[in-house]
Amino acid sequence: MADASEMVLTYFQKGFNYSQDGPGNRLVYHLNGCNLRCPWCSNPEGMAPDSKGRTEDVKALASAMISAGPMYFEGGGVTLTGGECTLQFDPLKALLILLREAGVDTCIETNASHPRLPELFPYLNTLIADFKHPDPELHRQWTGTDNLPVIRNLRAAAASDLPLQLRVPLIHGVNDDDAALAGFIAFFKEINRPGLTVEFLRYHEYGREKWEKQGLAYTMKDAFVSPERAAFFERACKEAGLHVIRT
Amino acid sequence: MKTYVSTPETITAMAKALFKEERAINRLDGWFLTKESYMRHEAEAASLPPMEKAALLLCRALEELPLSISENAVFAGTQRDAFARSYALINPSFKVESFAGYCDPTAVFDDIEPNEEITKARLDLVREHDRQSDYIKTLTKAYSDSARFTDEAVFFVEQVTGHVIPDVRPTLRFGVRKTMASLDEKIASEKDEIRASGFRAMRKALEGVLILAGRYADLAESQAASAAGERKAQLELLARTLRKVPAEGAESLYEAIQSFILMWQVMCLEQAPNPFAFSVGNADRIFEPYRARDGLSRDETAALLKHLLVFYNVADRSWAISQNLIVGGRDLDGADLTNETSFALLDAYYDMNLPQPILSVKLHKNTPERLYAELGRFFFTPGCLTPSLFNDDSLFEILEKNGVEKADLPDYAVAGCQEPLIMGKDNGNTTNSWLNLGKILELTLNDGRSLITGEEIGSFVPRVPFRENLEHLRERFYINLEGYLKEMEKAANACSAAVSHLPVPFLSTMMGGLDSGYDMRDTSHQGTRYNGSGCLIHGLSVVADAFVAVDHLLSEHPEDADRLSAALKADFVGYEDLRERLLSYPKYGNHEAEPDDEAVALAARVSQMVSSLRNYLGNPFRVDFSTPSTHLTYGYWVGALPDGRKSRDMLNYGVDPMAGDAMGGLGLRTLSTMKLPFEKFNGGYASHFGIDPRYFRGSDPEEKGLEFARRVVAPLFFNPMADHMSPFYLYVNVTTPEMLRKVLAGGEVPADIEKLIAA
Repeated sequence: MADASEMVLTYFQKGFNYSQDGPGNRLVYHLNGCNLRCPWCSNPEGMAPDSKGRTEDVKALASAMISAGPMYFEGGGVTLTGGECTLQFDPLKALLILLREAGVDTCIETNASHPRLPELFPYLNTLIADFKHPDPELHRQWTGTDNLPVIRNLRAAAASDLPLQLRVPLIHGVNDDDAALAGFIAFFKEINRPGLTVEFLRYHEYGREKWEKQGLAYTMKDAFVSPERAAFFERACKEAGLHVIRT
Repeated sequence: MKTYVSTPETITAMAKALFKEERAINRLDGWFLTKESYMRHEAEAASLPPMEKAALLLCRALEELPLSISENAVFAGTQRDAFARSYALINPSFKVESFAGYCDPTAVFDDIEPNEEITKARLDLVREHDRQSDYIKTLTKAYSDSARFTDEAVFFVEQVTGHVIPDVRPTLRFGVRKTMASLDEKIASEKDEIRASGFRAMRKALEGVLILAGRYADLAESQAASAAGERKAQLELLARTLRKVPAEGAESLYEAIQSFILMWQVMCLEQAPNPFAFSVGNADRIFEPYRARDGLSRDETAALLKHLLVFYNVADRSWAISQNLIVGGRDLDGADLTNETSFALLDAYYDMNLPQPILSVKLHKNTPERLYAELGRFFFTPGCLTPSLFNDDSLFEILEKNGVEKADLPDYAVAGCQEPLIMGKDNGNTTNSWLNLGKILELTLNDGRSLITGEEIGSFVPRVPFRENLEHLRERFYINLEGYLKEMEKAANACSAAVSHLPVPFLSTMMGGLDSGYDMRDTSHQGTRYNGSGCLIHGLSVVADAFVAVDHLLSEHPEDADRLSAALKADFVGYEDLRERLLSYPKYGNHEAEPDDEAVALAARVSQMVSSLRNYLGNPFRVDFSTPSTHLTYGYWVGALPDGRKSRDMLNYGVDPMAGDAMGGLGLRTLSTMKLPFEKFNGGYASHFGIDPRYFRGSDPEEKGLEFARRVVAPLFFNPMADHMSPFYLYVNVTTPEMLRKVLAGGEVPADIEKLIAA
């Protein structure tokens, strides 16, 4: 791997968030580029790898993140998300190494599709991974890619002792039917272990305006999920012995 | 011995009715009657030295002023006669468009609508008499001499009235007669005639409050004679109390509050009209000994304090503003000083939710969780006033470094909105001068010519081609700043000299005059232990961002450097592309080294330059990055700047980033803020956080108050990773724009109007 000072990362947004992107108060960087094309994405501005962003070398970024230490209260730290942060894999890994060396708590939010994802595990304090659909075909239909790499990576993560938060964007007409629920439960039960949590995030349209600003058509329709339906999913998972959380 | 009237519920109901009555008052003639009385008795006092003359005239006015006691009052006293229906920037005679009107001290006469009793002829007579006074002549000359700079708000200056924190504690404890006896001894032994005269004046002025107490006692007795039942008992107690205090020491909370109110009333009247921003100081510590002696419950205490809070509200718009009351804090050893009166005061504030006085809270690393929990209701109730927060741990250090004796540190309190002063010992002359860094940058970029009016205001650097100007912008800016500061120093001291023509012997008794023998406004002898003059500095982040933008432009797009001159003159019309580029350059408030370092360097250098100015007594000016809504009015006079800010847009508030520039949110903003050199801000500063309520998830306001402590206060004020002095001030609104719109649409008037505007 090249020297950190020679590598750069491009991000399109940064800021603090409390508890929703990992434990405590976290500095969240949204890295450019994504390999999926989910039509409900709330950050479409960062989808294209060459989308508008700010590029900085990894060492400078690490230095800025380390200097933000006074705000990492209640177990907080840095979260890298996207887009899909693993698309800038090598600089991301270099950054995580520098942060861990400096004692900064690290977390990534990922769609878990990158084949080298397990390489990052030693440098993470928390892994937050999406699992959008248990059915490979439907996963491909909605996101443009297969879910097999995701399943492989999540099994690997579950086999490690890394705190693992699984997230499901719950979307009407996409993955809120009983068959999907059964698929989620079957897979989550298979990889379940202490330190693994499941969270269902109800569909929202915070991204709609951004799609339109990008000149892109927002194609999702009638996708909201009722609180009752979401609670039903949560209850079913709990009954299956899973640790369900809401952040 | 417990002195108490009626039940807490009855006293509370009376306080609410009293406030309603007060808000129905839309004429304020008392200040005029006072001035007219001064004029009428001037001949009698003509031969006296100025301080003694002031004391005699004060007594005469107190003999003559019409008095009343409302049927809802449990205490006697009002501030009403000291205030006109105008204040500061909302003074009807002040026009932002011309930045004029504020300078005319006789404009206040226009605030009274003539009627059959107070005719135009009476008003004109006193106005004209005032115009001939040394005070107005000196002040008019001061403004005239500095008009070249103040007309477009390069800086502004004012004569400071109010704006101190009297120490009423000795009077509450021992009574006025004891002070008078001590003054008699000093008068007999003092060889220095100026000091002897000062002591005589102070003694005479103290007679004034006894006159007032006596007249109120007579009135209460007379009203008691025709009253019945509970009201009769209330009035009889009131009359008995007024016969005792403030002449003698108070022995109960009821007596202490009554004594305090009368002292306050006379202190304000002495400076009528409009002595803004007198502050109570550490109110919980002042009253707690009396509550404890009475053994009063929290409810009983809160009920009486509600009447004290109503006292601070004058007429239909609570015209007496920026009166600050502070609770909490620590002692020299770090032990917490919160007491039962602190909590009772919070109850009184929350229940009454009045526009005045401003509530401030002192915090420190050992502040008990209970205080944070009890503050939760203020932050998480829409439409409720929210307190300003001060960090004792930092302020103790700053004040000590600036010459405050250790023993005095716990006695610091806050005058106005943000300015820390030592209770009873500190004349900070806090709002004496106002500096506009944005305007100075504009003038530096344009060879001393205003972009707003085209007027040649002047420059202290030689004219050079625009590009050269940009290449040496910082250096030229600081040379100009030094030149304007010298002018400001002169003008500010001239205003202080003007106000020294209006001595304040009564206030001086509570500001160290009993020791010094000098009036606290004396410009030749220092009457208070601590003295300085304030300078409120505007435009920190705007100027820092402008410096950074110029650097980027010169290095990245040097071909556009010359276009910038035309763009600024055109307010970017036709140069939108250039403006977009300027706006895209790094801005302070996002935890980015370049702009943050620039802001730190600018703050440090400006602070050092302001501190090197000397006031009328040779004491340093105090650095105050407060902009009490004036970032709007001062911005109105600043043309377009290289950070991309358009002409007449507001400047940044206090030490905050320019609105909209902190793109990374509150966390990154906090980190940027923490870098500033707070140890140099010895006069105070302003900063505001608007926080989304969804950041807090506790099930009730108490839990949310504790979350607020952990997630907002502790990281900012008490951060173990902070590498230099932590911030010491914060004002917070836990709200969203949507919530504010909802509150306004619902017809509820937010309590703290001035701060809400600033927010």
